[in-house]
Amino acid sequence: MSKSTGYAGQILEINLNEKIAERKDLNKEFCMKYLGGIGFNARIIYDGVPVGIDPLSEANILAFSAGTMVGATFPTASRTEVSAKSPLTGRFGTANSGMFFGTQLKNAGFDSLIIKGRADNTMYLLIEDGEVSYLDAAGLWGKDSWETIDILKKKYSGCEVAAIGPAGENLVRFASIENGYYDAWSRTGMGAVMGSKNLKAIVVRGTLGIRPHNVEKFLDVSWKARKLIESSPFFVPFKSYGSMNAAMPYGKFNALNANNFSQGCLPDWKEDFARSKVEEITNGHIACQSCIIACAHWVEIKEGKYKGLRMKGMEVTPIASFGSGCGMSLEASVKASEMHQKYGMDMVSSSGVVGMAIELFNRGIIKTEDIGYEVAFGDDDAILRLMDDIAYRKGLGNILAEGTLRSAQHFEDGAASAMHVKGLEIPMIDPRGRTSTWSLGILTNIRGGDHLRCRNPIENLRYNENKYNFQKERFGFDRPMYDALDMPEDLKPKAIDLENDTTDIAVMSRWSEDLINLFNSLGICIRPPVEHKIGPTVLAEAYTAFTGIQITPEQLMQSAERIWNLMKLFNLREGEKPEDSKFPQRFYKIEVGGKKLDEVQMQEVLRQYYLERGWDSDTGIPTEEKLRELGLDTMQS
Amino acid sequence: MNKQIMIDAAKCTGCGLCQVLCSLSKSHQFNPSLARIKIWREETRGVFIPLTCQQCVNPPCVNACLMNVISKDPITGVTVRKTENCIGCRACQIACPFEACSYDHLLNVVVNCDQCGGNPACVNICPFGALQYLPVNEALNTCRDAEAVRRANL
Repeated sequence: MSKSTGYAGQILEINLNEKIAERKDLNKEFCMKYLGGIGFNARIIYDGVPVGIDPLSEANILAFSAGTMVGATFPTASRTEVSAKSPLTGRFGTANSGMFFGTQLKNAGFDSLIIKGRADNTMYLLIEDGEVSYLDAAGLWGKDSWETIDILKKKYSGCEVAAIGPAGENLVRFASIENGYYDAWSRTGMGAVMGSKNLKAIVVRGTLGIRPHNVEKFLDVSWKARKLIESSPFFVPFKSYGSMNAAMPYGKFNALNANNFSQGCLPDWKEDFARSKVEEITNGHIACQSCIIACAHWVEIKEGKYKGLRMKGMEVTPIASFGSGCGMSLEASVKASEMHQKYGMDMVSSSGVVGMAIELFNRGIIKTEDIGYEVAFGDDDAILRLMDDIAYRKGLGNILAEGTLRSAQHFEDGAASAMHVKGLEIPMIDPRGRTSTWSLGILTNIRGGDHLRCRNPIENLRYNENKYNFQKERFGFDRPMYDALDMPEDLKPKAIDLENDTTDIAVMSRWSEDLINLFNSLGICIRPPVEHKIGPTVLAEAYTAFTGIQITPEQLMQSAERIWNLMKLFNLREGEKPEDSKFPQRFYKIEVGGKKLDEVQMQEVLRQYYLERGWDSDTGIPTEEKLRELGLDTMQS
Repeated sequence: MNKQIMIDAAKCTGCGLCQVLCSLSKSHQFNPSLARIKIWREETRGVFIPLTCQQCVNPPCVNACLMNVISKDPITGVTVRKTENCIGCRACQIACPFEACSYDHLLNVVVNCDQCGGNPACVNICPFGALQYLPVNEALNTCRDAEAVRRANL
């Protein structure tokens, strides 16, 4: 492809055993079908990972792909996807992160890195202006991720670093890869895959530049997108409070994971974790590449045990995971976030497995002598100690480091306390408190129990009474919000019933999964002000101007759908069964706030969703017709 | 000088939009390494400081240049360069107290911000008000004083 395509133009394939690298040119057809970011990864992992391999063996592949529009002026285009077969779920493992790694990767000349094999000795990679160096990581192995990043950023000025910490080295199945000091590829254990390859860090730095095809048009559409985002009613709240916006409403609806999903909300949640707390302990905002929102905060703990702790923080996922999921104090939750970033460990999975352990302790199944000390929800010190044990696989931590699904098998009736879907620990959204597009997404997500791949573009964070048999959620907005949604005109009335003020969960789930997949391919952020007004129309205009490849909004959405289906085929090939798409039994049997799920009705919603997807309505397997339509009919599932 | 780019580092979030648009305007590509504005990132302290030419009244870069490349435009007061005479020795980069001289690795010359001839791209795109293009007057001096005090207290 020519130089002026927005793409860097090459995929770099590195073999760690042989220390050799191969460069492959992108072609137009591949770009149109798989776009970039998660799309490139889907094809790379599907084609390159043999069926049934141990994810921690050298046969696994670790792929880093920058979103197509990363490193330019399109607002929030900063994100890079990392994928491999997950050591936690055995399915398609994938995680998305922003900041500046993707910008440097593209400036170094590559849209994607494919890492194969296993280094003989611990190693880090330096990728700079088209060249690869294989460097000895003996001095870095054993150091935490921030120490590693410190050393490498000082050594290679202006670089970006992806590094693992002790959890990745110790093959904790939910280890993360840290993306500089501020962000991470956290879910599904990508850090353990990197650790299994003896790869401590990847340093990227480049000066090669990114050339848009049509500068004028691309700048115009970037500006248009900015105005759309800024005019969303979600913009100001997100600018001010970031993702913490969601913490309060979810507490109100009993939709928080409180003490391992035993309650919908903690009694003092409202006081201890209110928005005012964000103002109290933060000063200043932090942005990823080209972001106009800057939802992240700089936190400074000014008093108490953790006085002096300073870091980027106060985001809802860690705060809800530790503060609500394990009942920790706000200050200790921030401390736990710091610890997880240094150790390189996923906060959601870690708090999930710790929540399970505490519950088993309370049930008398795990005993004091098994751990060496007592644990309890809200016991900050004991919980931090247990998390430390997990990262270093000490004592009981060695079992818990295997994740909830595997470690539950070590304990009598452990599965009853293991709160996961398809082996991935569920974050803070309890569907009993509020069934929604968001909560159905936890069931249908390619990566398992996770909340980040399906969310109503106009998430209303409002109470839902479940009076619609779990099939509908309240719309809760006025007509202008409906009109502003960038959705095909024939789909809109199917997804939203303005008269009855409802959203159809199955229809909206399918749409939003594809939309988020499109965002994760192009490198756009899924924060609500973006997801609300940015859709295929603007993105097709931007993609065409940026790359010079003519694409329609319909083609973009079809590519997003193709990518989702390909990842589903990967999961099916690895043995995914229809019955795996099920919430933990607790959600169907035990009430929170007077509500629980109805198994039969949930199955019906799932059936509706499969039909929307063009999949077999009973098994959730893509039909031959659908695969033919997507050009995936030659793929094996 | 009529107007000048004013940096309010307290508002900078480090998004880097100024850099990508600057490099596009000047070098026709998105490439932070070619931007004439840098962001000093103190990531472990959550501090981001944009650095660009301060259009000094008596610029150290002018004095450091052996080839008489750099001068002050008598009308606008902007520090300008005849880059065709630049030998790329980078003495001006060493002399500049603001790290505001940028090495253009495509042309092998050193460049500085010329305020885009009165319509600075970086200011136009900054979403957070960290960069402003203001008349040089009392208000500007007040801003600079406040910024100096803030930096001294960091």
